[in-house]
Amino acid sequence: MTDNTDKIFDQAAAFQKLWMDSLTEMAGIWSQYSAGSPPIDEMRKMRGGMLKVLAETWDEYMRTPQFLEMMKASLNGALDLKRMAREGMNRVHEQFENPSKQDVDAVLLAIRHVERRLLDRLEGLDDRVANLNERIDNVDEGIAKQEKAIERLEQTVRTKVEKPAPTPRKATRAE
Amino acid sequence: MDKEASNGADWETWQASFINETFANLRRLTAIPFLPDKMEQVRKGVTPREVVYEEDRLKVYHYIGEGEPGFKTPLCLVFALVNRPYIMDLKEGRSIIAQYVKAGFDTYLIDWGSPTRAERFLTTDDYVNGYILNVVNFVRERTSSDNVNLLGYCMGGTLSTMFTALHQNLVKNLVLLATGIDYSSRESLLNLWTDPRYFDVDKFVDTVGNIPAEFLQSAFLLLKPVSNLVDKYINLAENVHRDEFVDDYLHMETWLNDNIPVPGEVYREFAKYLFQQNLLVKNRMPLGRHMVDLRKITCPLLNLMASSDHLVPCSQSAALNDLVSSTDKEKIVWPAGHIGLAVSARAQKELWPRAVEWLVKRTD
Repeated sequence: MTDNTDKIFDQAAAFQKLWMDSLTEMAGIWSQYSAGSPPIDEMRKMRGGMLKVLAETWDEYMRTPQFLEMMKASLNGALDLKRMAREGMNRVHEQFENPSKQDVDAVLLAIRHVERRLLDRLEGLDDRVANLNERIDNVDEGIAKQEKAIERLEQTVRTKVEKPAPTPRKATRAE
Repeated sequence: MDKEASNGADWETWQASFINETFANLRRLTAIPFLPDKMEQVRKGVTPREVVYEEDRLKVYHYIGEGEPGFKTPLCLVFALVNRPYIMDLKEGRSIIAQYVKAGFDTYLIDWGSPTRAERFLTTDDYVNGYILNVVNFVRERTSSDNVNLLGYCMGGTLSTMFTALHQNLVKNLVLLATGIDYSSRESLLNLWTDPRYFDVDKFVDTVGNIPAEFLQSAFLLLKPVSNLVDKYINLAENVHRDEFVDDYLHMETWLNDNIPVPGEVYREFAKYLFQQNLLVKNRMPLGRHMVDLRKITCPLLNLMASSDHLVPCSQSAALNDLVSSTDKEKIVWPAGHIGLAVSARAQKELWPRAVEWLVKRTD
Protein backbone atom coordinates (compact mmCIF):
# COMPACT_ATOMS: atom_id res chain seq x y z
CA MET A 1 0.00 0.00 0.00
CA THR A 2 2.80 2.40 0.99
CA ASP A 3 4.76 1.36 -2.07
CA ASN A 4 1.80 2.10 -4.29
CA THR A 5 1.25 5.47 -2.63
CA ASP A 6 4.92 6.31 -3.07
CA LYS A 7 4.73 5.32 -6.71
CA ILE A 8 1.68 7.51 -7.26
CA PHE A 9 3.41 10.46 -5.58
CA ASP A 10 6.54 9.87 -7.65
CA GLN A 11 4.49 9.77 -10.81
CA ALA A 12 2.61 12.93 -9.88
CA ALA A 13 5.91 14.66 -9.07
CA ALA A 14 7.41 13.59 -12.41
CA PHE A 15 4.34 14.87 -14.25
CA GLN A 16 4.50 18.14 -12.36
CA LYS A 17 8.21 18.44 -13.15
CA LEU A 18 7.45 17.88 -16.83
CA TRP A 19 5.10 20.85 -16.93
CA MET A 20 7.29 23.04 -14.78
CA ASP A 21 10.29 22.36 -17.02
CA SER A 22 8.22 22.86 -20.15
CA LEU A 23 6.76 26.16 -18.98
CA THR A 24 10.08 27.49 -17.68
CA GLU A 25 11.91 26.68 -20.87
CA MET A 26 9.03 27.94 -23.01
CA ALA A 27 9.12 31.22 -21.10
CA GLY A 28 12.90 31.32 -21.66
CA ILE A 29 12.32 31.24 -25.42
CA TRP A 30 10.68 34.67 -25.22
CA SER A 31 13.99 36.20 -24.18
CA GLN A 32 15.05 35.71 -27.81
CA TYR A 33 12.19 37.90 -29.03
CA SER A 34 13.53 40.66 -31.22
CA ALA A 35 11.30 43.71 -31.23
CA GLY A 36 12.97 44.98 -34.41
CA SER A 37 11.63 42.19 -36.64
CA PRO A 38 8.04 42.00 -37.88
CA PRO A 39 5.87 40.53 -35.07
CA ILE A 40 4.45 37.80 -37.33
CA ASP A 41 7.88 36.38 -38.11
CA GLU A 42 8.93 36.67 -34.50
CA MET A 43 5.77 34.95 -33.28
CA ARG A 44 6.44 32.09 -35.68
CA LYS A 45 9.97 31.83 -34.36
CA MET A 46 8.73 31.81 -30.77
CA ARG A 47 6.12 29.19 -31.59
CA GLY A 48 8.74 26.98 -33.22
CA GLY A 49 11.03 27.38 -30.24
CA MET A 50 8.29 26.58 -27.75
CA LEU A 51 7.19 23.47 -29.62
CA LYS A 52 10.81 22.31 -29.82
CA VAL A 53 11.23 22.73 -26.07
CA LEU A 54 7.93 20.99 -25.44
CA ALA A 55 8.97 18.08 -27.67
CA GLU A 56 12.28 17.72 -25.85
CA THR A 57 10.78 17.80 -22.35
CA TRP A 58 8.10 15.29 -23.32
CA ASP A 59 10.69 12.98 -24.85
CA GLU A 60 12.70 13.21 -21.64
CA TYR A 61 9.59 12.56 -19.55
CA MET A 62 8.59 9.52 -21.58
CA ARG A 63 11.96 7.97 -20.72
CA THR A 64 11.54 8.33 -16.95
CA PRO A 65 10.84 5.23 -14.81
CA GLN A 66 7.75 7.03 -13.46
CA PHE A 67 6.23 7.31 -16.93
CA LEU A 68 7.14 3.72 -17.72
CA GLU A 69 5.54 2.54 -14.46
CA MET A 70 2.43 4.54 -15.26
CA MET A 71 2.29 3.09 -18.76
CA LYS A 72 2.69 -0.42 -17.36
CA ALA A 73 -0.05 0.12 -14.77
CA SER A 74 -2.54 1.55 -17.27
CA LEU A 75 -1.84 -1.16 -19.85
CA ASN A 76 -2.18 -3.92 -17.24
CA GLY A 77 -5.41 -2.34 -15.99
CA ALA A 78 -6.83 -2.27 -19.52
CA LEU A 79 -5.77 -5.87 -20.15
CA ASP A 80 -7.31 -7.07 -16.86
CA LEU A 81 -10.54 -5.34 -17.74
CA LYS A 82 -10.58 -6.91 -21.18
CA ARG A 83 -9.91 -10.34 -19.70
CA MET A 84 -12.66 -9.98 -17.13
CA ALA A 85 -15.12 -8.87 -19.81
CA ARG A 86 -14.12 -11.84 -21.96
CA GLU A 87 -14.49 -14.30 -19.11
CA GLY A 88 -17.97 -12.92 -18.45
CA MET A 89 -18.87 -13.29 -22.11
CA ASN A 90 -17.45 -16.81 -22.15
CA ARG A 91 -19.77 -17.78 -19.32
CA VAL A 92 -22.74 -16.34 -21.18
CA HIS A 93 -21.77 -18.26 -24.34
CA GLU A 94 -21.33 -21.41 -22.29
CA GLN A 95 -24.82 -21.09 -20.81
CA PHE A 96 -26.33 -20.63 -24.27
CA GLU A 97 -24.10 -23.37 -25.68
CA ASN A 98 -22.64 -20.99 -28.26
CA PRO A 99 -19.03 -21.06 -29.32
CA SER A 100 -17.07 -18.29 -27.64
CA LYS A 101 -13.89 -16.52 -28.82
CA GLN A 102 -11.98 -18.85 -26.50
CA ASP A 103 -13.45 -21.88 -28.30
CA VAL A 104 -12.63 -20.44 -31.72
CA ASP A 105 -9.08 -19.69 -30.58
CA ALA A 106 -8.73 -23.22 -29.20
CA VAL A 107 -9.81 -24.69 -32.55
CA LEU A 108 -7.43 -22.38 -34.43
CA LEU A 109 -4.60 -23.32 -32.11
CA ALA A 110 -5.31 -27.04 -32.54
CA ILE A 111 -5.28 -26.61 -36.34
CA ARG A 112 -2.09 -24.62 -36.00
CA HIS A 113 -0.43 -27.40 -33.98
CA VAL A 114 -1.39 -30.01 -36.55
CA GLU A 115 -0.16 -27.73 -39.33
CA ARG A 116 3.12 -27.13 -37.47
CA ARG A 117 3.68 -30.85 -36.97
CA LEU A 118 2.96 -31.54 -40.64
CA LEU A 119 5.25 -28.74 -41.75
CA ASP A 120 8.01 -29.99 -39.47
CA ARG A 121 7.64 -33.49 -40.87
CA LEU A 122 7.64 -32.12 -44.42
CA GLU A 123 10.72 -30.06 -43.71
CA GLY A 124 12.38 -33.16 -42.24
CA LEU A 125 11.47 -35.12 -45.33
CA ASP A 126 12.69 -32.27 -47.49
CA ASP A 127 16.05 -32.37 -45.73
CA ARG A 128 16.25 -36.14 -46.14
CA VAL A 129 15.41 -35.91 -49.84
CA ALA A 130 18.07 -33.23 -50.22
CA ASN A 131 20.58 -35.51 -48.42
CA LEU A 132 19.64 -38.45 -50.60
CA ASN A 133 19.94 -36.29 -53.72
CA GLU A 134 23.38 -35.22 -52.61
CA ARG A 135 24.41 -38.82 -52.03
CA ILE A 136 22.98 -39.89 -55.40
CA ASP A 137 24.89 -37.04 -57.01
CA ASN A 138 28.06 -38.23 -55.28
CA VAL A 139 27.46 -41.78 -56.44
CA ASP A 140 26.74 -40.55 -59.98
CA GLU A 141 29.92 -38.53 -59.87
CA GLY A 142 31.85 -41.59 -58.70
CA ILE A 143 30.36 -43.72 -61.45
CA ALA A 144 31.17 -41.07 -64.03
CA LYS A 145 34.76 -40.92 -62.77
CA GLN A 146 35.05 -44.70 -62.92
CA GLU A 147 33.57 -44.76 -66.41
CA LYS A 148 36.08 -42.14 -67.50
CA ALA A 149 38.91 -44.13 -65.96
CA ILE A 150 37.73 -47.28 -67.73
CA GLU A 151 37.50 -45.38 -70.97
CA ARG A 152 40.99 -44.04 -70.52
CA LEU A 153 42.28 -47.51 -69.72
CA GLU A 154 40.49 -48.93 -72.73
CA GLN A 155 41.95 -46.20 -74.88
CA THR A 156 45.43 -46.90 -73.61
CA VAL A 157 45.09 -50.64 -74.19
CA ARG A 158 43.66 -50.07 -77.66
CA THR A 159 46.46 -47.73 -78.54
CA LYS A 160 49.01 -50.29 -77.37
CA VAL A 161 47.35 -53.04 -79.40
CA GLU A 162 46.95 -50.95 -82.53
CA LYS A 163 50.44 -49.48 -82.38
CA PRO A 164 52.79 -51.51 -84.61
CA ALA A 165 55.56 -53.25 -82.82
CA PRO A 166 58.70 -51.24 -83.05
CA THR A 167 61.10 -52.58 -85.66
CA PRO A 168 64.14 -54.10 -84.09
CA ARG A 169 67.05 -51.77 -84.30
CA LYS A 170 69.63 -52.99 -86.67
CA ALA A 171 72.75 -53.58 -84.87
CA THR A 172 75.45 -51.47 -86.36
CA ARG A 173 78.73 -52.74 -85.86
CA ALA A 174 81.45 -50.36 -85.79
CA GLU A 175 84.06 -52.05 -87.67
CA MET B 1 17.71 61.26 -37.83
CA ASP B 2 19.11 57.81 -38.60
CA LYS B 3 17.07 56.30 -35.80
CA GLU B 4 13.92 57.92 -37.20
CA ALA B 5 14.70 56.60 -40.66
CA SER B 6 15.27 53.15 -39.23
CA ASN B 7 11.96 53.28 -37.36
CA GLY B 8 10.28 54.32 -40.60
CA ALA B 9 11.80 51.35 -42.41
CA ASP B 10 10.73 49.01 -39.56
CA TRP B 11 7.22 50.36 -39.73
CA GLU B 12 7.09 49.75 -43.49
CA THR B 13 8.39 46.20 -43.05
CA TRP B 14 5.81 45.53 -40.35
CA GLN B 15 3.02 46.93 -42.48
CA ALA B 16 4.08 44.82 -45.46
CA SER B 17 4.30 41.75 -43.23
CA PHE B 18 0.78 42.31 -41.83
CA ILE B 19 -0.68 42.88 -45.29
CA ASN B 20 1.05 39.77 -46.68
CA GLU B 21 -0.14 37.67 -43.76
CA THR B 22 -3.72 38.94 -44.15
CA PHE B 23 -3.75 37.97 -47.82
CA ALA B 24 -2.11 34.63 -47.05
CA ASN B 25 -4.84 33.98 -44.47
CA LEU B 26 -7.50 34.77 -47.05
CA ARG B 27 -5.87 32.36 -49.48
CA ARG B 28 -5.76 29.72 -46.72
CA LEU B 29 -9.45 30.21 -45.93
CA THR B 30 -10.50 29.94 -49.55
CA ALA B 31 -8.45 26.73 -49.96
CA ILE B 32 -10.16 24.88 -47.11
CA PRO B 33 -13.42 23.97 -48.95
CA PHE B 34 -11.36 22.17 -51.62
CA LEU B 35 -9.69 19.82 -49.12
CA PRO B 36 -12.31 17.02 -49.22
CA ASP B 37 -12.06 16.93 -53.03
CA LYS B 38 -8.29 16.65 -52.85
CA MET B 39 -8.60 13.93 -50.22
CA GLU B 40 -10.72 11.87 -52.60
CA GLN B 41 -8.10 12.18 -55.32
CA VAL B 42 -5.41 10.45 -53.24
CA ARG B 43 -4.38 7.20 -54.92
CA LYS B 44 -2.72 4.31 -53.16
CA GLY B 45 0.16 3.54 -55.51
CA VAL B 46 0.87 5.05 -58.92
CA THR B 47 2.97 2.66 -60.99
CA PRO B 48 0.89 0.31 -63.20
CA ARG B 49 0.77 -3.16 -61.64
CA GLU B 50 -0.88 -6.55 -61.81
CA VAL B 51 -1.50 -9.19 -59.17
CA VAL B 52 0.54 -12.26 -60.11
CA TYR B 53 0.43 -14.38 -56.96
CA GLU B 54 -1.95 -14.82 -54.03
CA GLU B 55 -1.69 -16.91 -50.90
CA ASP B 56 -4.02 -16.53 -47.92
CA ARG B 57 -4.15 -12.74 -47.37
CA LEU B 58 -0.94 -12.10 -49.25
CA LYS B 59 -0.75 -10.64 -52.75
CA VAL B 60 2.26 -10.10 -54.95
CA TYR B 61 2.18 -7.17 -57.35
CA HIS B 62 4.23 -7.15 -60.50
CA TYR B 63 5.02 -3.65 -61.73
CA ILE B 64 4.71 -3.08 -65.43
CA GLY B 65 7.48 -1.06 -66.98
CA GLU B 66 7.92 0.23 -70.48
CA GLY B 67 9.31 -2.59 -72.60
CA GLU B 68 11.13 -5.70 -71.51
CA PRO B 69 13.09 -5.73 -68.23
CA GLY B 70 16.75 -4.89 -68.69
CA PHE B 71 17.99 -7.37 -66.09
CA LYS B 72 17.57 -11.09 -65.72
CA THR B 73 17.50 -11.06 -61.91
CA PRO B 74 14.20 -9.67 -60.62
CA LEU B 75 13.75 -7.35 -57.63
CA CYS B 76 11.46 -8.34 -54.78
CA LEU B 77 10.33 -5.73 -52.23
CA VAL B 78 9.34 -6.76 -48.71
CA PHE B 79 7.50 -4.27 -46.54
CA ALA B 80 6.68 -4.28 -42.82
CA LEU B 81 3.65 -6.01 -41.39
CA VAL B 82 2.40 -2.87 -39.62
CA ASN B 83 1.38 -0.61 -42.52
CA ARG B 84 0.35 -0.89 -46.12
CA PRO B 85 3.20 -1.20 -48.61
CA TYR B 86 2.12 1.59 -51.00
CA ILE B 87 4.51 4.00 -49.24
CA MET B 88 7.05 2.50 -51.63
CA ASP B 89 4.98 3.76 -54.55
CA LEU B 90 3.37 6.78 -52.88
CA LYS B 91 2.86 9.25 -55.72
CA GLU B 92 4.41 10.60 -58.90
CA GLY B 93 7.98 11.57 -58.17
CA ARG B 94 7.89 9.94 -54.73
CA SER B 95 8.14 6.30 -55.63
CA ILE B 96 10.99 3.90 -54.96
CA ILE B 97 9.29 1.32 -57.15
CA ALA B 98 9.05 3.71 -60.10
CA GLN B 99 12.79 4.37 -59.84
CA TYR B 100 13.63 0.67 -60.07
CA VAL B 101 11.06 -0.03 -62.81
CA LYS B 102 12.40 2.89 -64.83
CA ALA B 103 15.93 1.53 -64.47
CA GLY B 104 14.76 -1.72 -66.08
CA PHE B 105 14.24 -4.00 -63.06
CA ASP B 106 11.51 -6.60 -63.14
CA THR B 107 9.93 -5.46 -59.86
CA TYR B 108 7.65 -7.33 -57.47
CA LEU B 109 6.14 -6.19 -54.16
CA ILE B 110 4.67 -8.29 -51.37
CA ASP B 111 1.43 -6.90 -49.92
CA TRP B 112 0.82 -8.88 -46.71
CA GLY B 113 -2.85 -7.92 -46.48
CA SER B 114 -4.69 -7.44 -43.23
CA PRO B 115 -4.53 -10.47 -40.90
CA THR B 116 -7.73 -11.78 -39.38
CA ARG B 117 -8.14 -13.75 -36.16
CA ALA B 118 -7.37 -16.88 -38.13
CA GLU B 119 -3.82 -15.55 -38.62
CA ARG B 120 -3.14 -14.78 -34.98
CA PHE B 121 -0.99 -17.86 -34.52
CA LEU B 122 1.20 -17.22 -37.56
CA THR B 123 4.83 -16.92 -36.51
CA THR B 124 7.85 -15.14 -37.98
CA ASP B 125 8.90 -18.55 -39.31
CA ASP B 126 5.67 -18.73 -41.32
CA TYR B 127 6.44 -15.37 -42.87
CA VAL B 128 10.13 -15.98 -43.59
CA ASN B 129 10.25 -19.69 -44.42
CA GLY B 130 6.67 -19.81 -45.62
CA TYR B 131 5.38 -16.76 -47.43
CA ILE B 132 8.64 -15.05 -48.46
CA LEU B 133 10.16 -18.35 -49.58
CA ASN B 134 7.05 -19.18 -51.63
CA VAL B 135 7.05 -15.72 -53.21
CA VAL B 136 10.76 -15.86 -54.03
CA ASN B 137 10.36 -19.31 -55.57
CA PHE B 138 7.35 -18.13 -57.55
CA VAL B 139 9.24 -15.07 -58.84
CA ARG B 140 12.30 -17.17 -59.70
CA GLU B 141 10.15 -19.60 -61.63
CA ARG B 142 8.27 -16.79 -63.39
CA THR B 143 11.46 -15.05 -64.47
CA SER B 144 13.59 -18.18 -64.97
CA SER B 145 16.15 -16.73 -62.62
CA ASP B 146 18.29 -18.60 -60.09
CA ASN B 147 17.95 -15.91 -57.44
CA VAL B 148 16.37 -12.52 -56.72
CA ASN B 149 17.41 -9.11 -55.46
CA LEU B 150 15.71 -8.44 -52.14
CA LEU B 151 14.80 -4.99 -50.81
CA GLY B 152 13.33 -4.74 -47.31
CA TYR B 153 11.97 -1.70 -45.51
CA CYS B 154 11.75 -1.39 -41.71
CA MET B 155 10.34 -4.63 -40.27
CA GLY B 156 10.35 -5.97 -43.83
CA GLY B 157 14.09 -5.39 -43.80
CA THR B 158 14.47 -7.50 -40.68
CA LEU B 159 12.40 -10.27 -42.31
CA SER B 160 14.50 -9.99 -45.49
CA THR B 161 17.72 -10.22 -43.47
CA MET B 162 16.50 -13.37 -41.72
CA PHE B 163 15.44 -14.82 -45.06
CA THR B 164 18.82 -14.09 -46.64
CA ALA B 165 20.65 -15.66 -43.71
CA LEU B 166 18.62 -18.85 -44.13
CA HIS B 167 18.44 -18.94 -47.93
CA GLN B 168 21.57 -17.15 -49.11
CA ASN B 169 21.61 -19.10 -52.38
CA LEU B 170 18.30 -17.50 -53.37
CA VAL B 171 19.36 -13.88 -52.80
CA LYS B 172 21.73 -12.11 -55.18
CA ASN B 173 21.82 -8.67 -53.54
CA LEU B 174 20.28 -7.36 -50.33
CA VAL B 175 19.13 -3.75 -49.96
CA LEU B 176 17.82 -2.62 -46.58
CA LEU B 177 16.09 0.58 -45.51
CA ALA B 178 15.80 1.65 -41.89
CA THR B 179 16.08 -1.93 -40.70
CA GLY B 180 16.23 -2.87 -37.03
CA ILE B 181 18.95 -5.43 -36.28
CA ASP B 182 20.68 -4.49 -33.02
CA TYR B 183 18.15 -3.62 -30.33
CA SER B 184 20.63 -3.06 -27.52
CA SER B 185 20.52 0.73 -27.70
CA ARG B 186 17.89 2.61 -25.71
CA GLU B 187 17.89 5.53 -28.14
CA SER B 188 14.47 4.71 -29.53
CA LEU B 189 11.49 5.04 -27.19
CA LEU B 190 10.08 1.80 -28.56
CA ASN B 191 13.07 -0.12 -27.19
CA LEU B 192 12.53 1.50 -23.82
CA TRP B 193 8.79 0.88 -23.72
CA THR B 194 9.22 -2.82 -24.51
CA ASP B 195 11.66 -3.30 -21.62
CA PRO B 196 10.56 -6.54 -19.86
CA ARG B 197 10.36 -4.66 -16.52
CA TYR B 198 7.57 -2.49 -17.88
CA PHE B 199 5.97 -4.56 -20.62
CA ASP B 200 4.62 -8.08 -20.21
CA VAL B 201 4.41 -9.11 -23.85
CA ASP B 202 2.96 -12.56 -23.09
CA LYS B 203 0.07 -11.14 -21.10
CA PHE B 204 -0.53 -8.56 -23.82
CA VAL B 205 -0.60 -11.01 -26.74
CA ASP B 206 -2.54 -13.66 -24.80
CA THR B 207 -5.23 -11.08 -24.06
CA VAL B 208 -5.52 -9.16 -27.31
CA GLY B 209 -4.51 -11.78 -29.90
CA ASN B 210 -3.63 -9.83 -33.04
CA ILE B 211 -2.19 -6.46 -32.09
CA PRO B 212 -4.85 -3.88 -32.99
CA ALA B 213 -3.94 -1.27 -35.61
CA GLU B 214 -5.19 1.48 -33.26
CA PHE B 215 -2.74 0.39 -30.56
CA LEU B 216 0.18 0.50 -32.96
CA GLN B 217 -0.95 3.83 -34.38
CA SER B 218 -1.19 5.38 -30.88
CA ALA B 219 2.26 4.08 -29.99
CA PHE B 220 3.74 5.59 -33.16
CA LEU B 221 2.00 8.92 -32.53
CA LEU B 222 3.23 8.98 -28.95
CA LEU B 223 6.84 8.61 -30.08
CA LYS B 224 6.73 12.25 -31.18
CA PRO B 225 3.62 13.66 -29.55
CA VAL B 226 4.28 17.35 -30.20
CA SER B 227 5.27 16.85 -33.79
CA ASN B 228 2.45 14.39 -34.57
CA LEU B 229 -0.37 16.02 -32.63
CA VAL B 230 0.41 19.76 -32.78
CA ASP B 231 3.14 20.77 -35.20
CA LYS B 232 1.76 18.79 -38.11
CA TYR B 233 -1.65 20.49 -38.00
CA ILE B 234 -0.14 23.97 -37.61
CA ASN B 235 1.95 23.27 -40.69
CA LEU B 236 -1.13 22.18 -42.59
CA ALA B 237 -3.03 25.32 -41.53
CA GLU B 238 -0.16 27.52 -42.67
CA ASN B 239 0.31 25.77 -46.00
CA VAL B 240 -3.23 24.75 -46.86
CA HIS B 241 -3.21 27.12 -49.86
CA ARG B 242 -0.12 25.45 -51.38
CA ASP B 243 -1.27 22.66 -53.67
CA GLU B 244 1.95 20.66 -53.63
CA PHE B 245 2.21 20.74 -49.85
CA VAL B 246 -1.41 19.65 -49.44
CA ASP B 247 -0.98 16.86 -51.96
CA ASP B 248 2.11 15.53 -50.14
CA TYR B 249 0.39 15.92 -46.78
CA LEU B 250 -2.76 14.07 -47.83
CA HIS B 251 -0.80 11.20 -49.39
CA MET B 252 1.30 10.84 -46.25
CA GLU B 253 -1.65 11.08 -43.88
CA THR B 254 -3.66 8.56 -45.88
CA TRP B 255 -0.79 6.12 -45.59
CA LEU B 256 0.02 6.88 -41.93
CA ASN B 257 -3.57 6.25 -40.87
CA ASP B 258 -3.89 3.10 -42.94
CA ASN B 259 -2.53 0.76 -40.26
CA ILE B 260 -3.22 -2.95 -40.13
CA PRO B 261 -3.08 -5.35 -37.17
CA VAL B 262 0.03 -7.45 -36.61
CA PRO B 263 -0.36 -11.20 -36.03
CA GLY B 264 -0.07 -11.78 -32.29
CA GLU B 265 2.67 -14.43 -32.39
CA VAL B 266 4.86 -12.39 -34.76
CA TYR B 267 4.54 -9.43 -32.39
CA ARG B 268 5.40 -11.66 -29.43
CA GLU B 269 8.52 -12.97 -31.18
CA PHE B 270 9.68 -9.54 -32.30
CA ALA B 271 9.12 -8.00 -28.87
CA LYS B 272 10.62 -10.89 -26.93
CA TYR B 273 13.47 -12.14 -29.13
CA LEU B 274 14.50 -8.84 -30.68
CA PHE B 275 13.48 -5.89 -28.50
CA GLN B 276 13.95 -7.67 -25.18
CA GLN B 277 16.63 -10.32 -25.79
CA ASN B 278 18.35 -8.93 -28.88
CA LEU B 279 18.92 -12.45 -30.25
CA LEU B 280 19.50 -11.54 -33.89
CA VAL B 281 22.93 -9.98 -33.31
CA LYS B 282 23.85 -12.95 -31.12
CA ASN B 283 23.05 -15.29 -34.04
CA ARG B 284 20.56 -17.07 -31.78
CA MET B 285 17.24 -15.91 -33.23
CA PRO B 286 15.02 -19.02 -33.45
CA LEU B 287 12.84 -19.38 -36.51
CA GLY B 288 10.88 -22.60 -36.33
CA ARG B 289 13.46 -25.38 -36.58
CA HIS B 290 16.14 -22.97 -37.72
CA MET B 291 18.48 -20.51 -36.06
CA VAL B 292 19.27 -17.28 -37.87
CA ASP B 293 23.00 -16.83 -38.25
CA LEU B 294 23.83 -13.48 -39.81
CA ARG B 295 27.34 -14.70 -40.69
CA LYS B 296 25.74 -16.81 -43.42
CA ILE B 297 24.93 -13.67 -45.40
CA THR B 298 27.57 -13.41 -48.10
CA CYS B 299 25.85 -11.45 -50.86
CA PRO B 300 26.45 -7.74 -51.55
CA LEU B 301 24.65 -5.58 -49.00
CA LEU B 302 23.45 -1.99 -49.17
CA ASN B 303 22.28 -0.69 -45.81
CA LEU B 304 20.39 2.62 -45.95
CA MET B 305 19.54 4.44 -42.74
CA ALA B 306 18.15 7.82 -41.73
CA SER B 307 20.04 10.08 -39.35
CA SER B 308 16.84 11.46 -37.74
CA ASP B 309 14.97 8.18 -37.56
CA HIS B 310 13.02 8.10 -34.28
CA LEU B 311 11.67 4.60 -34.92
CA VAL B 312 14.80 2.75 -36.03
CA PRO B 313 17.86 4.84 -35.09
CA CYS B 314 21.03 4.39 -37.13
CA SER B 315 22.72 2.55 -34.27
CA GLN B 316 20.07 -0.14 -34.64
CA SER B 317 20.78 -0.72 -38.36
CA ALA B 318 24.49 0.03 -38.72
CA ALA B 319 25.57 -3.05 -36.75
CA LEU B 320 24.52 -5.39 -39.56
CA ASN B 321 27.46 -4.49 -41.80
CA ASP B 322 29.85 -5.86 -39.18
CA LEU B 323 27.83 -9.01 -38.56
CA VAL B 324 27.55 -10.40 -42.08
CA SER B 325 30.27 -12.20 -44.03
CA SER B 326 29.72 -10.19 -47.20
CA THR B 327 32.81 -8.54 -48.58
CA ASP B 328 30.89 -6.14 -50.78
CA LYS B 329 28.90 -4.05 -48.30
CA GLU B 330 28.02 -0.40 -48.05
CA LYS B 331 26.03 1.78 -45.70
CA ILE B 332 24.58 5.19 -46.39
CA VAL B 333 23.31 7.47 -43.62
CA TRP B 334 20.87 9.95 -45.12
CA PRO B 335 19.70 13.14 -43.41
CA ALA B 336 16.01 12.31 -43.10
CA GLY B 337 13.46 10.60 -40.87
CA HIS B 338 12.06 7.06 -41.05
CA ILE B 339 9.63 7.86 -43.86
CA GLY B 340 11.61 10.69 -45.43
CA LEU B 341 14.32 8.16 -46.25
CA ALA B 342 11.93 6.60 -48.74
CA VAL B 343 9.77 9.43 -50.01
CA SER B 344 11.30 12.84 -49.31
CA ALA B 345 11.93 14.93 -52.41
CA ARG B 346 15.67 15.07 -51.71
CA ALA B 347 15.99 11.33 -51.12
CA GLN B 348 14.10 10.66 -54.34
CA LYS B 349 16.37 13.02 -56.23
CA GLU B 350 19.75 12.12 -54.75
CA LEU B 351 19.67 8.95 -52.64
CA TRP B 352 17.52 6.64 -54.72
CA PRO B 353 19.32 7.13 -58.04
CA ARG B 354 22.45 6.12 -56.08
CA ALA B 355 20.75 3.07 -54.62
CA VAL B 356 19.41 2.06 -58.04
CA GLU B 357 22.89 2.46 -59.54
CA TRP B 358 24.33 0.29 -56.77
CA LEU B 359 21.98 -2.53 -57.75
CA VAL B 360 22.47 -2.01 -61.48
CA LYS B 361 26.20 -2.60 -61.06
CA ARG B 362 25.61 -5.89 -59.28
CA THR B 363 22.80 -7.40 -61.35
CA ASP B 364 22.91 -9.52 -64.51
